[in-house]
Amino acid sequence: MISYKAPIGDLLFLYEEVFDPNDISNLTSQQETTTDLVKTIWEEGAKFCEDQLVHINRSGDEEGCHFNNGAVRTPEGFKEAYSKYVASGWSGLTCEQKFGGQGLPNSVNIALEEMLCSANLAFSTYPGLTRGVYRALRLFGAEPLKKLYLPKLVNGEWSGTMCLTEPHCGTDLGLLRTKAIPTDDDNYLITGSKIFITAGEHDLTENIVHLVLARLPDAPKGIKGVSLFLAPKYLPNNDGTLRSRNSLACTSIEHKMGINASATCAMNFDQAVGWLVGEPNKGMQAMFTMMNDARLGVGMQGLGIAEISYQAATTYAESRLQGRSLAGSKHPEKPADPLVVHPDIRRMLLTMRSFTEGARALTLWVARHLDFRDNAVTVEARQSSDDFVQVMTPIVKAFLTDLGFDITNIGLQIHGGHGYIRETGVEQYVRDARITQIYEGANGIQALDLVGRKLPAHAGRYLRSFFHPVQNWLEKQNDNDEMQVFVAPISKAFGRLQIATGYIAQSGQKNPEAAAAAATEYLRLFGLVALGYMWGRIAETSLNKQSSATNDFYLKKLVTAKFFTQHILPETGSLFASIMSGSETIINPPIE
Amino acid sequence: MPKNIEKIMVIGAGVMGAGIAAQIANAGLPVALLDVVPANNSNRNAIPEKALAQMLKAKPSPLMASSNIRNITPGNIDDDLHLAKDCDLIIEAVVENIEIKKELYLKLEKQRKTESIVTSNTSTIPLSHLVADLPRPLATNFAITHFFNPPRYMRLLELVGGPETNSDALEALTHFCDVKLGKSVVRCKDTPGFIANRIGIYWMESAVRYAIEMGLSVEEADAVVGKPMGIPKTGVFGLMDLVGIDLQPHVQQSMLALLPDNDPYRDIYQASDLLDHMIKTGYTGRKGKGGFYRLNSINGKKIKEVLDLKTMTYRPTVKPELGSIAAGRHGMRALVEHADIGGQYAWRVLSKTLSYSASLVPEIADDVYAIDEAMKNGYAWKWGPFEIIDQLGPQWFANKLRSDQLIIPPLLKAINENTFYTKNIKNQQEFFTANHTYKKISRPNGVLMLSDIKRQTKRINGNPSASIWDIGDAVLCLEFHTKMNSLDTAVFEMMEIAIREVKDKHYQALVIHNEGANFSAGVNLGLALFAANIAAWPEITKSVAQGQKIYKAIKYAPFPVVAAPSGMALGGGCELLLHCDGVQAHAETYTGLVEVGVGLVPAWGGCKELLARWSQYADHPKGPMTAITKVFEIIGTAKIATSALEAKQYLFLTEHDGITMNRNRLLADAKTLALSLVENYSPPEKPVFFLPGESARLALTMVIEDMHRNGKINDHDVTVAQGLAIILSGGNTDIVQSLTEEQILSLERKTILSLVKMPQTLARMEHMLETGKPLRN
Repeated sequence: MISYKAPIGDLLFLYEEVFDPNDISNLTSQQETTTDLVKTIWEEGAKFCEDQLVHINRSGDEEGCHFNNGAVRTPEGFKEAYSKYVASGWSGLTCEQKFGGQGLPNSVNIALEEMLCSANLAFSTYPGLTRGVYRALRLFGAEPLKKLYLPKLVNGEWSGTMCLTEPHCGTDLGLLRTKAIPTDDDNYLITGSKIFITAGEHDLTENIVHLVLARLPDAPKGIKGVSLFLAPKYLPNNDGTLRSRNSLACTSIEHKMGINASATCAMNFDQAVGWLVGEPNKGMQAMFTMMNDARLGVGMQGLGIAEISYQAATTYAESRLQGRSLAGSKHPEKPADPLVVHPDIRRMLLTMRSFTEGARALTLWVARHLDFRDNAVTVEARQSSDDFVQVMTPIVKAFLTDLGFDITNIGLQIHGGHGYIRETGVEQYVRDARITQIYEGANGIQALDLVGRKLPAHAGRYLRSFFHPVQNWLEKQNDNDEMQVFVAPISKAFGRLQIATGYIAQSGQKNPEAAAAAATEYLRLFGLVALGYMWGRIAETSLNKQSSATNDFYLKKLVTAKFFTQHILPETGSLFASIMSGSETIINPPIE
Repeated sequence: MPKNIEKIMVIGAGVMGAGIAAQIANAGLPVALLDVVPANNSNRNAIPEKALAQMLKAKPSPLMASSNIRNITPGNIDDDLHLAKDCDLIIEAVVENIEIKKELYLKLEKQRKTESIVTSNTSTIPLSHLVADLPRPLATNFAITHFFNPPRYMRLLELVGGPETNSDALEALTHFCDVKLGKSVVRCKDTPGFIANRIGIYWMESAVRYAIEMGLSVEEADAVVGKPMGIPKTGVFGLMDLVGIDLQPHVQQSMLALLPDNDPYRDIYQASDLLDHMIKTGYTGRKGKGGFYRLNSINGKKIKEVLDLKTMTYRPTVKPELGSIAAGRHGMRALVEHADIGGQYAWRVLSKTLSYSASLVPEIADDVYAIDEAMKNGYAWKWGPFEIIDQLGPQWFANKLRSDQLIIPPLLKAINENTFYTKNIKNQQEFFTANHTYKKISRPNGVLMLSDIKRQTKRINGNPSASIWDIGDAVLCLEFHTKMNSLDTAVFEMMEIAIREVKDKHYQALVIHNEGANFSAGVNLGLALFAANIAAWPEITKSVAQGQKIYKAIKYAPFPVVAAPSGMALGGGCELLLHCDGVQAHAETYTGLVEVGVGLVPAWGGCKELLARWSQYADHPKGPMTAITKVFEIIGTAKIATSALEAKQYLFLTEHDGITMNRNRLLADAKTLALSLVENYSPPEKPVFFLPGESARLALTMVIEDMHRNGKINDHDVTVAQGLAIILSGGNTDIVQSLTEEQILSLERKTILSLVKMPQTLARMEHMLETGKPLRN
């Protein structure tokens, strides 16, 4: 049985030492968010994940969801876990107080998301989409809709879904066919089929709120003719009590490679009653709000699954005795040395750790800007933070989920044959991680978003929010001798990113295909440099704290920082070389 | 017959008369501007004097420099007609009333010298009517010179002679309008509306009619019959707002009165209740309460509204979402073949307008080239009707007309599968004539077009941003061809190569010129901003140094370098002019060191060169402070000279630099200037600066702080101005210490590199790039 220990120590280190917690508590809405409060919240969350959620992860995977005549039953223990989750107030943590939320910052919530995903990725998908629905509705919904639906979504009594995909249209939403016909009652009748709807039907909440993309009768063709609608499973009365079943239903659930405890539903809307959210034909705008939120959420899944995988691998490598250290036996009293003495095992563990901890820092950095974006005092600061979130969203989504898969795979490798059999539970992580690279926009699409939209926007203004802080930080390190061992490789990698960015922007302007051909490698290059910078920041903080009581913690950080900058960052060299080789070989020759 | 037209009288001081007089004054020629004596005014010259006052206020100004107004003498017909006896040319621009005009001609006949030429600016009265029963000496010296509004800026001049008109008079007029006034002269026949209005009015009528019939919104119609067709983006409704909706019925009625009975205009014309209603209620366009568009102020925000033709109420404009408009980017055929309403509309308007144009050869002009030139210069179309037919493919066009059961004009049948324009064996451009043969496009003497050279010769060298051409007489021409002719690394590389080519291959001189709308908008702001956004400071440092180096190489090249700008020469484009040995500028050249508008300072030697010029300026008192203050003011307020003439006042151009009124003559004039410098050429001496250093900087700082206190400039303006003050005061120096130009250049570099890192500067650059307007942040 795999156990889980939430990384509270690392989280607090990042929250209050690497970053400045006052930046958060100085925000007008967050004056009461002290580090003590943050710690308490995280410890509560950790308890729930460590004591309850992680224990129904493997059983949930084995049992899966049950479909019977339109109803979906979640695996044993999910209902209880969800009740506990809601009762503890986790569902509305960052939501506005006027809708019953707690109004806490994203920087606090991001850690809970990670814990949830570590403990039980499949479970996290049930409440996961509700937050996106909340945000889309809050920003684009009409007042009566907000008043009726938001409190129920915030308190977790109802959950949410995003209904985009149809059998013939996935990434290319312009092709979608679901129709919405206006009625005399200011609402619409929605008809069509949707597939791959996460949590489209389940037994955790009394009602399910679907946000559905559909076309109005007079809508223009393509993506510009798509509108967003809200259609609940049960039509509510004005007081929030349930009136009658809406005519929409789950027709089947999918059998999948992973996240088996998460219900992936085919949905049928048969003149289901719905309400318009936002303006007609402007559905993609509202949907993107929700999708960007969800993309960051999926990035967190990558981090969460990497973390638990690392914990399992460490435990195994320390307890499994196999072979002797090449430098001479480390534990002569035992029949063999533990795995952890072997350089290649150590390399794998350090790879896992440096990626995971670096990624955690990155997600916190992004979360802080989510908070600044919504609450900073000046327009300029809000814009700059929005720019940062814009450019980092595809990176968090794609880079962290690629890491999630790579790291769970390394974790399995450390387990050897025992990892390949089901009993140890680590093969589930590989299977669960795989979907995160695909849904919410496949990682290739994220890379296109980065080079096609985010990079050229406003002549590169989004990029400034990343490049300037990094450049300034690097310049500041010039007179810090101890830092040079970290700064030199980070600086080199950053220079590569700068040149590659300029190159892609220019070649992409002439030929969009050239930028597209380099997109995935560029996103990884960007991600590695971002993590490199995070490790630089972590090293800087740790050097200042070396003499403190928790010396070991900081020494370990410095070792990991060195590992990342010396053994991982050089990958930027090969990515750079490949990008700078141009796109012709990729674009031109016939592959078919 | 006068060889030269040197003294002119314009009678009629209305919009057109005053504008024509202003353009003559711009040419540096004396002109009398007469109108009638007003009824209730003791000032008998009140009307022309008011027109002069108006000239000084109008934006854009009809005058290239306000001092030009001194060339205009106001007068009145009763007292001053005798002045005509000294005039070589008398232009009549009074009301469109044949009786009044004829009466005036008879009065004039008693005053003018016999060899003088008289012309009318009429747009609606045939010459044959005007000269009927006029005394013979007048009829032989009479023509129509039809200017377009505003006369300074519209390039077309339609010249109409009658059967009796002396050909020497027509020659003299052509030369005068072309060389002195800078007009593109198109000889027209004496037919209603001549060329441009004949076709233009038909186009407008069909564009409005089909828009209404087919149910397009005003914005949709303008978006289709605008940019995709190479027509100004005002489209048709926007154009009517601009010229005045109340003008329409007059134009329509005069066309109906004069056109042949079987003219297709009679079929397309429809009396319009809509226009009548708008005119009656005062919605006459921009000059009235509004037109098809209006600017409405809602809660202090200016909102552009449009007239909904179905409900006849205003609503906010909506960006048209028509597939045909997007398709139009792939060519005219893609536009008219698109199935949506915009494509259908485009086809109906174009098919009508183009076949009408083709049916008018040889009725209104002997050749298609004249028609295309008239539409391009008179209506600012990017392509003339026959160029558009060539784009569609004449045979494809004829077939489509046939399948739509429309009439195919004989000229279109005759062209068959060929095109209206072609190239002969020497790669010279030829056009199809009314006798179904091809004729070479001939350029007047003194016209050298780079486009001709490009067609006929191989380029000496080039890259995607710039090219080098041999323009004859051992002179090379460097041409930019980036977007807005902005300057990037590749342009600089080609400058370097051009200098080497001239030196190594023994050319005599280099001319820098292009035929784009603008000589150069300066540095490629998008690239610079992108580099700054990704903190590519070494790259930016390199490109600043590169610009300084190459501009210096131009200045000290061992042969003359002459720039021949037209349109905008801003920022780095203006700095380039400052480094040339001479400039031959088109009169419509707009120069300025505008860097502060985007939070930067000139750093390719612009500060240095302008300071050197003002320091040597003969007319100003001793001591460096006057020059420093002057340059500080010019750069610090981003002054833009609105003509070549005005550029001389700022010393962007020197008194030795030449001005060419007609753009087509610019390259030839520039080449002549360059060749005139070849003999005994030696590069300029390196300037030495004696600058006061801190004391000057403090003086400028006081000015800056004062302006800041008075709210004239904001915080970031202060930062930028202080950077400029450091450069112009010489940095850390004092008045007895001599400074080299390298030292000033180093100050320029240092200042720009600190400014380009500031978020306020980056926000300004972004705003300029995206809106074309400066941001005050």
